[in-house]
Amino acid sequence: MNNNSNKMFFLFILFFSTLISISSNSWFGCWIGLEINLLSFIPLISNSKNLLSVETSLKYFLTQSLASINFLFMILIKFSLLKNFDMNNIISIMMNSSLLMKMGSAPFHFWFPNIVEGLSWMNNFMLMTWQKISPMILLSYYFNKNFLIFMIIMNLIIGSLGGLNQTSLRKLLAFSSINNLGWMIFSIMISENLWLFYFLIYSMMIFMMISLFFLMNMYFMNQLFINNMNFFIKLNLLINFLSLGGLPPFMGFMPKWIIINFLLINKFYFLTFIFMMTSLIIIYYYIRIIYSSFMFNYFKMKWMNLLMKNNMSLINLSSFISISSMILSTFIFM
Amino acid sequence: MLIYDIWFLFIYMFFIGNLIFVSKNKHLLVVLLSLEFIVLSIFFFFLVLLMFIDYDMYMLMVFLVFSVCEGSLGLSILVSMIRSHGNDYFQSFSML
Repeated sequence: MNNNSNKMFFLFILFFSTLISISSNSWFGCWIGLEINLLSFIPLISNSKNLLSVETSLKYFLTQSLASINFLFMILIKFSLLKNFDMNNIISIMMNSSLLMKMGSAPFHFWFPNIVEGLSWMNNFMLMTWQKISPMILLSYYFNKNFLIFMIIMNLIIGSLGGLNQTSLRKLLAFSSINNLGWMIFSIMISENLWLFYFLIYSMMIFMMISLFFLMNMYFMNQLFINNMNFFIKLNLLINFLSLGGLPPFMGFMPKWIIINFLLINKFYFLTFIFMMTSLIIIYYYIRIIYSSFMFNYFKMKWMNLLMKNNMSLINLSSFISISSMILSTFIFM
Repeated sequence: MLIYDIWFLFIYMFFIGNLIFVSKNKHLLVVLLSLEFIVLSIFFFFLVLLMFIDYDMYMLMVFLVFSVCEGSLGLSILVSMIRSHGNDYFQSFSML
C-alpha cells in the first residue's frame, strides 16, 4: 500500500485548514479551521499498525476535540452575551484556555510529551511547528493579558524543569517546545510580526535538529553515545542544541534578544528574570547531553560506525546557517 | 428574567458532558459518547440562540456536519484501537 499520495492529500488539507482558520471573518470560521486541522492530522499520524501509534492518535484526538468543542461553546456564549461587558474577562480566559490546550501549553501540556514520544520524527516536526500556528494566531485575536502572562510563566518553568529527567530525545524536544511556546506567546502579545520572526527561526532550528536525528535514526540519548560520530556531526549537534537554547553567536539568540529588549524597555523585570533563569536550565540540559563527547577523553566505540558520507553537505549547510545567521542578517539592509 | 433561565440548561448540559469526559471510565466508548453529548448541548444552544435573533439556520447545519465528522473520526480511532488491542479498556494503555 503506497502511503505517499494519502499523506500528500492530508498534508494539503492540513495546510489549507490553518489558512481557513487564520483568515476567517468570524470565530465560527476559526472553529471550522481547527476541526479540519484535527480531521486531517489524525490520518497522518495513525498510519502504522502498532499499538503505540493507535494510543498516540487516540490521545491526540481526545484532547484536541475536547479543546475545540469547548472553544465553540465559549464562542457561542460570547455571541449570546453581546451587551454584557462584565463577562469579558471570564470569556476571554475560557477561550484562551481552550486554545492553549490545543497548543500543548502549560497547564494543559500533559498530553504533549506523551504524544511526541509516540510519533516519528517527521510527524513530530509537523506537530511542533505547523500545528501551533493557528491556535497562536487565534490567541492573538482576543487575549487576556494577565491570564496569558501567568500562563507564560508556567510554560517557562514547566518546560525547563520537565526536561531535566528525560532520556528520550523526543520528550526532551517536547519540553523544549513547551518552553519556546512561552516565548512565542509573549511575542504574539507584542506584535504578530515579531511572533512570525520567532516562529520562523524556531521552526528552522527544530527542522535542523529533527532532520539530524531523523538521518541518524536516533530516538534516545544513549544512542548519541554509542555511535562513533564524525566530528562534524557532533559539532553540528552541539551548535544546534546551543542555538535552540539561545546562546549568542548562534541563530537562536536573535529572536530572544529582541523579546528581551522589549521586556527591559517596558520594565517587565520579573518576567525577564524568569525568562533568563529558565533558559539557563534548558541550556544546562542541552550541554549535558553533548559536552562529554568533546572533551579529550571522549567516548568512542569502534564497532558502531555512522556512515554519513553522502549527507554531509546538508549538515555543513545547517551548521553554517546556525553560526552565521546573526551576522549575515545585518548585511541584508546594506 | 424567566427567558434567561434556559441558558443555565445549556451550561449545565455542557458541564455534565465535560465531567463525564474527564471521569475515570472503563471503556473508551463512554468518553466518545460524552463528546457527542457535549455536541448535542451545543446544538441545542445554537438552535435556541439562532431562533432568538431570527437568523437562518445554515450555520447550525455546517456545525452539525463538522461535529458528525469528528464523531466518526473518534469511532474510527476506536475501531483501530480494538483491532490492535482487542478491547477498548483504558487499562490497556501501557506504552506512554
